[in-house]
Amino acid sequence: MSEQTIYEGMTERGISRRDFLKLATVITAALGLEYSQVPRIAHAMETKTRLPVIWLEFQDCAGCTEALTRSLDPYLTKLLFNDISVDYHETLFVASGKQAEENKTKIMEEYAGKYVLVVEGSIPMKDKGIYCTIGGRSAEDILMEAASNAMAIISVGTCSSYGGLPQANPNPTGAVGVRALVKDKPVISIPGCPPIPEVITNTIAHVVLLGELPELDALGRPKAFYGQTVHDRCPRRPFYERGQFAETFDDEGAKKGWCLYKLGCKGPTTYSACATIKWNGGVSFPVQSNHPCIGCTQPNFWDGGGLYNAISAPPGAEAASGINAGIATVGGAALAVGSALYAKKVKQKAANAFQTQKNADKEA
Amino acid sequence: MLSPEFIRGPLFKFSLLIFILGMVYRFFRILFMGWKKDYAPPRGSAWGGIIKTYTKSLIFLPFLPPKFPSARHRPLTYVAGGLFHVGLFAAIFLLAPHIETWRTLLGFGWPALPTPLVDGLAVVAIVGLITLASNRMINPVTKMLTGPADWLNIIFVLLPLITGWAMYHHIFGLNYTKLTNLHLLTVNWLLIWTPFSRISHFLTYFITKTMHGAKFGRLGVEP
Repeated sequence: MSEQTIYEGMTERGISRRDFLKLATVITAALGLEYSQVPRIAHAMETKTRLPVIWLEFQDCAGCTEALTRSLDPYLTKLLFNDISVDYHETLFVASGKQAEENKTKIMEEYAGKYVLVVEGSIPMKDKGIYCTIGGRSAEDILMEAASNAMAIISVGTCSSYGGLPQANPNPTGAVGVRALVKDKPVISIPGCPPIPEVITNTIAHVVLLGELPELDALGRPKAFYGQTVHDRCPRRPFYERGQFAETFDDEGAKKGWCLYKLGCKGPTTYSACATIKWNGGVSFPVQSNHPCIGCTQPNFWDGGGLYNAISAPPGAEAASGINAGIATVGGAALAVGSALYAKKVKQKAANAFQTQKNADKEA
Repeated sequence: MLSPEFIRGPLFKFSLLIFILGMVYRFFRILFMGWKKDYAPPRGSAWGGIIKTYTKSLIFLPFLPPKFPSARHRPLTYVAGGLFHVGLFAAIFLLAPHIETWRTLLGFGWPALPTPLVDGLAVVAIVGLITLASNRMINPVTKMLTGPADWLNIIFVLLPLITGWAMYHHIFGLNYTKLTNLHLLTVNWLLIWTPFSRISHFLTYFITKTMHGAKFGRLGVEP
């Protein structure tokens, strides 16, 4: 089974050469590659054997998996489940308990250095990781074991990329992302809460088919999908430029589709392909549906100062700034009066000394 | 690397409090400097003098170059300095994102200018300030009058302007988040630096102007 190439597996299922080449073209386009790369993709599928993907879940809500299963890109999803094969996935597989774990160990041994590890959810580090255990083993332990022999690691979702919601202040479980733990392997981050399904499938397919990492940005995100901000590609951008903003969710501006900056849109600081690939098969995305971008592909977005406050509004400033400003004002005034009084005293002293000297001179 | 939450949050708050404390100190220190009592009988109204000097030298004369002394004597300083101040004012007070900052701090906002217009005015401010700095280097008189503190003032004002402009245009090969961090760091530093430097003339100018108007008004002379 393991020696069969992806192409052979497809011909076995009755897919013709012609359809195979069509599929290769579609996949090339879906990966965001140029038309000239079609032969490369076809060649990869002809020569590469089926590669297993191990999908681990830690402190997550399975929302990224939910998103993946709703990917409306049939070719890549089919490719992922039929030919690339996700061999271990806690939410999706039928097996459970010891059998499933044994299967995972078998794959990790058989495909050592070849399988792709996908991680969903953050890893708790506080109190020896007791906040997330599977079969008595901590999440860190399971991750490090699986990562040690993986070809590459893909962290799906904001939680596994940076820590996400579990890491939000006060971070009770000491949650961290994969990148904080795995230092010796390439880690690709696909942040988002959840990420765009097509971005997940495309990135996994890219790594598995081409056996190389896509071009990444400073945070380890594929540049093809995280190269531009939501703001850069926003259909409401002209309103931002003109200074036409919706002030509330139901005012005239909101009805006219004006910019949502003042309602807390994080589009300008958020790198994601939401405005171009969109969601639900290209139907819409938050800003198009009259809701500001919450910035879910960026680190620490939960602690960024409120989902409905403008980006330029300093976080937490409204809470105590009045009192602090008052203290600073009174303090500054007191300091000034004190220093003025002191200066007066010094001056008076100097004047007295001068007078005494003058009198003494007179007497002499 | 400092996190943007820290720079925008606690660090910004700290810088702002230093700024307020420092400026309030400067204000009251000048007020309680020990002014000599004027025993002469007033020949005119002090308030009248204040109103007159503001109307004349802040609202009308700067826009009538032939009547404005500094426009005649130092045309370059007049044009570059004037444009710099207009651009800086627009960038700080009339850019929509900045008004949101003010709204958070003050609890109220005001209408903004269109962003591309403020973008242009910010460029005007940058060019104006660079022109003024070059003039300081070339002109022998200003060259002698310029000390290290003045150069630092120019640099510290120029940095937030340039980083702010760069983040709007996403340039210099840095991403928006990094440029935002740089912009906020430079702004925080400018806030801390201001009370200790001559940039505090944004406040002391008005103290001088008021005192000048009041004195001249009391003496019954044209301020």
